[in-house]
Amino acid sequence: MRMSLYVPGTSPLHRAGARWKLAALLLCGVAVFLTTSVAVLGPAAAVALALLLSVRAPREQLVRQLRGPLLVLAAVVAVAALTESVHAALVVGLRLVVLLLSALSVTLTTRTSELQDVLELVLRPLDRAGLVNASAVALAVSLALRFIPEVFRQFQEIREAQAARGLRGSPLALVVPLVIRVLRSAEDIAAAIDARCYPPARTGDLDRHERLSGKAPG
Amino acid sequence: MRITLHGVTVRFGTRTVLDALDIELTEQRIGVIGANGSGKSTFARLLNGLVLPAEGTVLVGGHDTAKDVRRIRRQVGFVFQNPDNQIVLPLVEEDMAFGLRNTGVPRKEIPGRVREQLAHLGITALADRPSHALSGGEKQLVALAAVLVMRPETVVFDEPTTLLDLRNRNLIRDTVAALPQQAVVLTHDLDLLTGFDRVLVLDRGRVVHDGPPRTAVPWYVERCS
Repeated sequence: MRMSLYVPGTSPLHRAGARWKLAALLLCGVAVFLTTSVAVLGPAAAVALALLLSVRAPREQLVRQLRGPLLVLAAVVAVAALTESVHAALVVGLRLVVLLLSALSVTLTTRTSELQDVLELVLRPLDRAGLVNASAVALAVSLALRFIPEVFRQFQEIREAQAARGLRGSPLALVVPLVIRVLRSAEDIAAAIDARCYPPARTGDLDRHERLSGKAPG
Repeated sequence: MRITLHGVTVRFGTRTVLDALDIELTEQRIGVIGANGSGKSTFARLLNGLVLPAEGTVLVGGHDTAKDVRRIRRQVGFVFQNPDNQIVLPLVEEDMAFGLRNTGVPRKEIPGRVREQLAHLGITALADRPSHALSGGEKQLVALAAVLVMRPETVVFDEPTTLLDLRNRNLIRDTVAALPQQAVVLTHDLDLLTGFDRVLVLDRGRVVHDGPPRTAVPWYVERCS
C-alpha cells in the first residue's frame, strides 16, 4: 500500500513549484465547470493526458492509480448518458478526466514536504491569528501519509497471526490489538520527532528559517 | 563531549527506574548492557532530554537537560531501536531534511547536506525511495543518516541491531565503529562492544559494573549464567 505517489524525475512538472502546480490545479478545477463545450473540454483532456505522460511515471503505477477512478468515471458517464443525454455524459466525462489526470500529474511530481510547505503557507494567516499551529497541521498531514502504510502493515500482521491460530472474521479481535500497537508506536514516534528538534526553530514562517542560518548547527 | 549525571533518579509513577546515578561519560565509545527492564532505555533517553530526572541533574557539555533541551538535542543524536518509528516522512530525503529544517538550516543548504550524508553511508540510491518500502537494514541506515546529517557531537543508539539480520547487523556495527563522533550504544549484542572504551552494566536502575569490555562483558555473562 502506498500513500505517497511521488515519482522521482526531471520533467517540467517536477521542476515547477508546488504552490504554482496546486494553484493551477485549483484554477483548472474551476475552469472546467465554466464551460459545457466539448470543443473546449476535449482538447483540455488531451492536454491533461499529455501532461501526465510527460511525467514519465511507470506504466504499471499509472494503471494502478487510474483503474479504480476510471471505472467509477465510466459508471458516471453511463448513468448520465441514460438519464440525460450523450452530450451531457461527454461533458461530465471530460471534466472528470481533466481533473483526474491533472490531479494525478501534480501528486506524481510533488513531494510530501513540498505539499507540507504549501499547507503551511496557506495556513499562515490562521497561524498568525493564533487559530491553528500551521507547522503542526502540516506535519500531521505528512505523518498520516507516512504511517498509513505502516498501520496497514500492522493490520495485516495481526490478521495473519490470528488466522494462523484459527481465528477469522472477528473485527473486534483485529481492531483492539491494532489500536494498542498504534498507540505504542505513537509514543515512540513522538519521542523520535522530539529528538530531532521539533518544533522548528520558529514555527509558521518559512522565510524565518533562512534568517536563522547563523544559528544552524555544525 | 562530557556528559555528567549527578545523583540522577528517574521514577515512573511509584516505580524507580534509575536510582541515584553518579556517572561521568567522556570516552568515545561507551556501551551499556543489562537485562530487559534494567533501565537502559531510560538511561539513554536521559542523555538528550527525552526523559528528565525526578532528582539530580544531567549535564551535557555543561548544559542541563532540564533547562537547555533544544541545544542538547542538536548535540546528542538518538537512533531508536525500531527505525519504522523513527522515520517520520514518506521519502528518505524528506525524512533526512526534517531535523535540518527544525534546526533552522537554510533551505538551500539542505539538499547538499542530505546528499553528502547519504553518500558518506553509501546509500545515495535510497534518496528518492519511499521510507516504508526499505529493507530493515536500509531503514536502520536511513535512521542513522537522518541523525548524522544534523552533525551531532554524540550519538546514542538504543539497541541498533536488535531487529536486523546478520548481514545488516555487521553493516551497522562497522558503521558505528567508523563514526568520528562519541557513541553511546545500548545493546544485547555483546560482539558490538569489541573495541569500545568503556562498558556500563545496569541492573535494576543501578550501575553494577563499570569497566573496559574485557572485564565488563565476561562479568555480565557470568552474572547472567
